[in-house]
Amino acid sequence: MKRIGVFVCHCGINIAETVDVKRVAEEAMKMEGVAYAQDYIYMCSEPGQTLVREKIVEEKLDAVIIAACSPNLHESTFRAAAEEAGLNPWQCEIANIREQCSWVHTDREKATSKAIHIVATIVQKTKLNESLEPIPVSITKKALVIGGGIAGIQAALDIADSGHKVILVEKESSIGGHMAQLSETFPTLDCSQCILTPKMVAAGKHPNIELMTYSQVDEVSGYVGNFKVRIRQKAAFVDWSKCNGCGLCMEKCPAKVSSVFDRELAKHGAIYVPFPQAVPNKPVIDKDSCIYFKSGKCRLCEKVCEIGAIDFEQEDRFIEEEVGAIITATGFDTLPVVDLAEYGAGEVPDVIDGLAFERLLSASGPTVGEVRRPSDGMVPKEIVFVQCAGSRDPERYKPYCSKICCMYTTKHALLYKHRVHDGQPYIFYIDIRTGGKGYEEFYHNAEEEEGIIYLRGKVAKIFRDGDKTVVWGTDTLTGRNIEIAADLVVLATAVVPKDSTAELVKKLRIQTGPNGFLAEAHPKLRPVESINSGFFIAGAAQGPKDIPETVSQASAAACKVISLFSRDHLEQDPAIAWVDEDLCGGCRICISVCPYDAREFDEEKGIVIVNEALCEGCGSCVAACACGATQQRNLSDSQIKSMVTASLGGV
Amino acid sequence: MAKIAYYPGCALNERSSHLDRSARDATLRLGFELDELDTWTCCGAVPPVSEERVMNLIAPSRILKDVRDSGRDTLITICDFCYNTLKRTNYSIKSDEITRKRVNAFLADDTPERDYLEKDDSLWVDYEGEVKVIHLMEYLRDELGYDKITENLKRSLRGLKIAPYYGCVMLRPQNEIQLDDPENPAIIEDFITALDAQPVKYPYRTECCGSYLSVSSPDASTRLCYRILTSARKNGADAIVVSCPLCFYNLDSRQKAISEAYSDFKPVPIFYFTQLLSVALGVKFGRQGFEKHNVDVTPVLDKIGSSTGKEDEV
Repeated sequence: MKRIGVFVCHCGINIAETVDVKRVAEEAMKMEGVAYAQDYIYMCSEPGQTLVREKIVEEKLDAVIIAACSPNLHESTFRAAAEEAGLNPWQCEIANIREQCSWVHTDREKATSKAIHIVATIVQKTKLNESLEPIPVSITKKALVIGGGIAGIQAALDIADSGHKVILVEKESSIGGHMAQLSETFPTLDCSQCILTPKMVAAGKHPNIELMTYSQVDEVSGYVGNFKVRIRQKAAFVDWSKCNGCGLCMEKCPAKVSSVFDRELAKHGAIYVPFPQAVPNKPVIDKDSCIYFKSGKCRLCEKVCEIGAIDFEQEDRFIEEEVGAIITATGFDTLPVVDLAEYGAGEVPDVIDGLAFERLLSASGPTVGEVRRPSDGMVPKEIVFVQCAGSRDPERYKPYCSKICCMYTTKHALLYKHRVHDGQPYIFYIDIRTGGKGYEEFYHNAEEEEGIIYLRGKVAKIFRDGDKTVVWGTDTLTGRNIEIAADLVVLATAVVPKDSTAELVKKLRIQTGPNGFLAEAHPKLRPVESINSGFFIAGAAQGPKDIPETVSQASAAACKVISLFSRDHLEQDPAIAWVDEDLCGGCRICISVCPYDAREFDEEKGIVIVNEALCEGCGSCVAACACGATQQRNLSDSQIKSMVTASLGGV
Repeated sequence: MAKIAYYPGCALNERSSHLDRSARDATLRLGFELDELDTWTCCGAVPPVSEERVMNLIAPSRILKDVRDSGRDTLITICDFCYNTLKRTNYSIKSDEITRKRVNAFLADDTPERDYLEKDDSLWVDYEGEVKVIHLMEYLRDELGYDKITENLKRSLRGLKIAPYYGCVMLRPQNEIQLDDPENPAIIEDFITALDAQPVKYPYRTECCGSYLSVSSPDASTRLCYRILTSARKNGADAIVVSCPLCFYNLDSRQKAISEAYSDFKPVPIFYFTQLLSVALGVKFGRQGFEKHNVDVTPVLDKIGSSTGKEDEV
């Protein structure tokens, strides 16, 4: 019989307050097979781990059970400790008495009884645990970065600098993302383009980075270290290998299309680059707006292109690649103004969003940096900025704080003051949140020195009255209703995940949270990893974020990838499904239930085998197997049976 | 002709019976009949906003249960307050099991005293919110279709600029009422367009008229109504159309006080939506009760062209 040690953690008061940990240890000691039991205040601390290691040796333990928090948190910690003391890591089990017991109960007596049952259950499992060895898996040392904003660019550069190949996929024709649209950046007011474009150029030129713009990820299969991806490169109708970026075609194109990059404040032709500093600086033809594609006549661009780069016959291209890790950095959008019915539902021309105001402030924007309102080009003398437009509003819009708006609105008001000295900016806010290095000082200066009027309250309604845009709000500090007949209104609209993110996560099989942002494996301890191994996340696709935070997260995700690539091979958890070849009848039910494509029919043997690299050990096939041929390592039918008995109080 | 259960409510039964008449006239011309409930009581008018959790729901629940017990599944109202009260009561009964049980316990308790039940020996069946409460305007939009109105127009309102006034209770709270977006609605505008008139957009269309403040602090209501009326006028409205008798009362009868308080004020005629509908469908002006209005509607009627002689008798 195995000699099992049970170590009961207090987790400070997290467990001990609700569960009588001493009694759990006492009861564990009475269980068959348990040779030693002890409680300790923080089992995961160094003294706690030392206790486990020492007792393994002293008590000649064959297996240990840590009754503590979820195995998601510290299973690997304790398995490493057990291994140090000479145990096979799979002889270390976690009994979760925190998340599944103390945290969800208040009755100490009942909770203690439940904790004892949980321990008894794991004792039954541990008795029959086999010693396992991790399965080695090869690794393709090439990364895929999805999204060419500042997050994707930074992550790609960091990985590329470490000597590994990177494919950087961007949906638009140029990398740069939203940061390329910004004028100046808080809190230092350095110009966004000036700090971004060198990085764009570096990404474009880096020998280890393969830039694939105007492209989208079409399909992903495989597993950590060995992904297969199919990328669709959309037809640009311009042969980029010939195009020298002279721009003549764009000058001559007679079509007029609202510029998405300029937030529809300017127009460009049907053949265009989104902005002059684009990387790559190659145009694409927007098929929906091109006169030739619509009417069959024109082809003016083709006529003026001296090198014959225009190709109306071009089709979408599909490229298959193999990569070892994938970073998703697809960024954000902002809540459309049309969604905000009380703020004019997009029907009031002088109500714009923050990104549009960035374009008005930008030296390369449609007004060359002069603040002129969209309706008539007048320089606004009074501007109202409305924060939390759609944020922190669980009843009607988004429940969360969009985080960047307090700072960028202050920046907007400041830059407006710098350009229009006699102008008056007003800012409606709920709270001013300035958590960041130099942020509070930046806000303080704006409020004290620059004559910006901050009004604490929500705006109720915005409507057009003649050439004025009237704002109704409340100043909750004076308790007065306020009406401002403004020349321009700028809404700090909520930061939302990109529409395309939902579709992409389905292809990648990674998770999103309740608001559609990418979910991290652990909010504090694994912030740049997805639950599914091999997938990493960075930037505002994970949640609203400013530039410094985005860049930090991107570098962190890159480091995770580099650390993955630093190994010769990967180790796959061996606690997965296996097949008793004598029992398998080849019915293939398991293939239909496997969510990871890990079950394959072996024609030669006439049985269904397990692809060990793909199997995640979810147990679906084990449950589905009609003849008991498929079993889960260390969760065999006999283990489960005795665990069920123990959990119900039997022996 | 299709008959649809109809709850007139107190205002339209008494003080504003001319509005009730215009609704009945108009719907007949559109091919259906408003079939007034045999017995009905006051809906309570404001109970959904009161703190009381059950007693306030008894009267409207009884009305709704009677409709169901008579074998009908739809109840039309033409008053925003009745609509709000009945629909929200229904919502509470449907969505909250405890409310449902308590309301039915009360209803069951007082039924022996109700004589109509003596004729009915069927077993007690809890009311579970089966009846669909529907505003006449909603019926016109969703069931009949606004285009059906346009097809049946007998008088042209073309060129007439009408400002819709939504008031507070027709659209709110949105999750319970779900008639239109309370911040940027379109149902009355589309109704006006269906009458071939021109809707006027103005910022005060969803602002409060003061509601019952006209009783307790009439000055507040006067100020609010002044803003609404002036804004509509400034945006070119010939008249305002409403769908709530209280809004009608405030906006129409407050204008005397407004004229005294604000020297720049110019009166704005007020119409109930059923009156405009009835007029457009060819019912005589004489059946609309315009003489009961405080503000003279003649300037508007003149634009409609009462002398075309096209209108016929009901």
